[in-house]
Amino acid sequence: MRLTTEEYKALEDIVGPEYITQDPVIMESYCQVWGNKLEFGDKRHRPPAAVLLPGSTEEIQAIVRFCNQADILFKPSARAFEYVATHLARERGILLELKRLNRILEIDPKNMHAVVEPFVTMYQLLDAAGKQGFYVGKPGVGYSAAVISLACCHQEMTISQLYTSGYGRNVLGCEWVLPTGDVLNLGTANREGGWFSGDGPGFSLRGILRGRAGANGGHGVITKCSVKLYPWYADSPTEYELSRGPGEAISAAQIDKVPDNYRVNVLTFPDTEKMMKAARDIGHAEIACIVAPAYLTTGFREEGNDEQWAKMTASPPDPNEIVRMVPVFVNGHSTRELEYRERAVMAAMEKWGGHLDPQWNSEKVKAQIFMYQIWSTGVFLRATGDFMLSTQGLDGSLESQLKYRTVEFQALQPFADAGDIVHPTMGMSYRPMEHFSLGFSGGIATGIDPWDPLSFAAARKYLDIVYDPDGPCRPYSYTNRGAMMQIEDIEHVHERWGPLYDNADLWLQKVRNMLDPNRVADWSAYIPPEYSKEKGE
Amino acid sequence: MAWQDYEHDMQRCTRCSYCKYIPWRYIKDFNYMEGCPSAARYHWHAYAAGGKFNLSYALMQGAIEIDDTFLDVLYKCMMDGSCDIACKVQQDIEPLQHMQELRIECVDQGYLLPQHQPFLRSLRNEDNLLLKPRAERGDWAANLDVKRVTQENAEVVYFAGCRYSYDQELWPTAQAGVKLLQQAGVDVGILGADEACCAGRAYELGYEGELTKFAEHHADTLKTVGAKVLVTPCSDCYGTFKVLYEKIGKKLGIEVYHITQYLEKLIQEGKLQPKKPIDLKVTYHDPCHLGRLGEPWIDWEGKEYKPKGMQIWLHDPPKKYRRGTNGVYDPPRNIIKSIPGVELVEMYRTREYAWCCGAGGGVIDAYPDFAQWTGAERLKEARAVGAEAIVSACPWCKRNFLNSAKQTGNDIKILDIIELVQESI
Repeated sequence: MRLTTEEYKALEDIVGPEYITQDPVIMESYCQVWGNKLEFGDKRHRPPAAVLLPGSTEEIQAIVRFCNQADILFKPSARAFEYVATHLARERGILLELKRLNRILEIDPKNMHAVVEPFVTMYQLLDAAGKQGFYVGKPGVGYSAAVISLACCHQEMTISQLYTSGYGRNVLGCEWVLPTGDVLNLGTANREGGWFSGDGPGFSLRGILRGRAGANGGHGVITKCSVKLYPWYADSPTEYELSRGPGEAISAAQIDKVPDNYRVNVLTFPDTEKMMKAARDIGHAEIACIVAPAYLTTGFREEGNDEQWAKMTASPPDPNEIVRMVPVFVNGHSTRELEYRERAVMAAMEKWGGHLDPQWNSEKVKAQIFMYQIWSTGVFLRATGDFMLSTQGLDGSLESQLKYRTVEFQALQPFADAGDIVHPTMGMSYRPMEHFSLGFSGGIATGIDPWDPLSFAAARKYLDIVYDPDGPCRPYSYTNRGAMMQIEDIEHVHERWGPLYDNADLWLQKVRNMLDPNRVADWSAYIPPEYSKEKGE
Repeated sequence: MAWQDYEHDMQRCTRCSYCKYIPWRYIKDFNYMEGCPSAARYHWHAYAAGGKFNLSYALMQGAIEIDDTFLDVLYKCMMDGSCDIACKVQQDIEPLQHMQELRIECVDQGYLLPQHQPFLRSLRNEDNLLLKPRAERGDWAANLDVKRVTQENAEVVYFAGCRYSYDQELWPTAQAGVKLLQQAGVDVGILGADEACCAGRAYELGYEGELTKFAEHHADTLKTVGAKVLVTPCSDCYGTFKVLYEKIGKKLGIEVYHITQYLEKLIQEGKLQPKKPIDLKVTYHDPCHLGRLGEPWIDWEGKEYKPKGMQIWLHDPPKKYRRGTNGVYDPPRNIIKSIPGVELVEMYRTREYAWCCGAGGGVIDAYPDFAQWTGAERLKEARAVGAEAIVSACPWCKRNFLNSAKQTGNDIKILDIIELVQESI
């Protein structure tokens, strides 16, 4: 037993006997996450000492305070579909599964924000908000990703961020149980004015709260959070009737047409550069809600691998096609506005020599694209049970991205040629923000098979190249390394890249240690309190 | 396949938790998003199908042993297959078959759930799961003027199943099924006291040998009586005859219909004409063994492989997964729609992703409180869509709904589709 009887009893007294367990059988379902194989060599890793299901902020405070007294590591977890979601840096560590905190507390249409608890998924919020004419952004990591995890805790993105901005920029007020057990209210959460401001009045610590890559459960527990909402001009996800043919699997079901207040066009250009420049013009014009360069294949999946393969072999995808295509969505609350915006998109297309390829612009295909890009496709892990994102997350201009994609493709190419890592047909997507003045790479989603020694070794070698601070990716920022914390040793990331960026790692450690003087908040996907000391435990 | 043969599936389960919910795109109301009763009722991830993959993986590595908790996790599950459907929207893995093999392993290793043992003894000694004497099996039809197929030939054999044979409260429904067939001019007979359990439930508990034994018995019996068609009003029996016997390579040598399929045919042919209007708003509950688990078995033998230079797992020959698509969904709905005055409203969870009634997988016997809770959730859902009655097509569903309604005070009408047709004829 890794917790003493007294410790277990003390925790049990806080949450009640129904909501705590240390049964070894149950613990096994909290230590097997898909990314573990790449980081720890096996899918199964160290089980937690106990799992608790707290039911309130007060209970979480009491648990955290006890952890401080008893020197027990803790880590909050919502849906736990993340590379190292259940991993704890020490054996004497407990997981707080937040499934009892599952309410949408408020949707405030006047101030355009929603307040949620940690177990609420983005899909749930999209639906509830959609019914009141609001949108939040599609989670790129599947239906079950939690709002607070996306907004406050992880590297974040959404394909609609041209319109909705990234999740991390939509955080307003938060109720935050610090690693000491104290509650800190951010924004105006502690004022009578409500939750709606993250940057004042009231003080904002959003940069500390989440930074670029998030603390991934490493600096306490966000128990409530307010996020911004954006206008939405169609039905909410649960209101659509999906149709499918007789005998078709449920995965084949689709909506029949793009909703009236939206238009979807898939633009094809002579080359990637022209596509990106047209996309930038559209972004600058502030007329589109989704502009997703080279991000088209997502969701176009057959019901199983064998069916997918049959389709691929019958009609081999052209890898050069997707990388010069961009789906563009416009919306509007009047026909006139919608038509104006669509005409502007067409003008940009023509300026850069683009055209509408009929095979991507039929009503059926556009409806399919709409559904996949607006709601979610889930996460495609069927090919091997895993995929690996490339470095992902370069924050930069379009020009920077065009240079970076070449570097990264070159690094990947030998492994792709050998067949140990599959070169994607989707290319590397660019996720624009701030009307295309800034953006970041969606990464190359590479198919790997962690259970195939050759593929596994290739993935490792490839990561070694992109993580090498003296390697080809050196000019392309530290922050994108942060996004890779899931599959790369956390110390490795910070120790090697921090010094290149004004010792940012040391600052991060200072922040961490200030928030967590007793070092009880798990740091396995954040930053260790100090380097190396904990290794070999 | 043995449970260990699912190691690759254990590795590829991504903990996406889709097995806990109905396929997300089909959610109509977030109060009714849960698909797996075990994961909804019990707190820990282990109770979901994904968690059971984790447990097996740990078992293979020697990290845990089969103990009481393991059995609790494994058997507090209706084996209703909701997880399997939701998982396969995204993955090429087999959560349900894995759990089935794990149960078989537990039985083979002697890890038996004590609560199941009286029922198994009853099966072995009295050919039924209801703890009743074999001699009483035909009592439900004592006053029924119907052929005994062991004594005189009939074209159709009506197979009542254990629940209808012994649950007196349900006898009128079983009898009505026979009468409807007779009214339509069908040459129908019953096995009466010579009927025995299909053994599908025993198989779900992990008693593989019982299924083989009873499959062989039924094949022999049915060959002797010479009927061409078997019609059963029990979805469990239907699923066993249609799917499980096929799975273990035992052929019954007779055409198998669920009564909803047969009644639909008779109505379409004009041999049965529901004419009397029934002013009732009903919802239809898809029994798991008729719906997603009633999909014909697809046998596959071959190997997994990856094509050269690609990271994608394929099958040689290509494998068709059972995704519930071809279960029996429309015949009962068509029957209901054919009855004048009846308004059919769908629940939020229907067809492939219907919520289980709570009776399956041995739960009604071993964990009656869990079974009733599950049934009560379904009744609540039926009420939520405005139904005055919930109509099913399986005596196990009806029994469990009756128990749940009694427990919770839900006064919704609980009907079998046979009763609805009978009332309208």
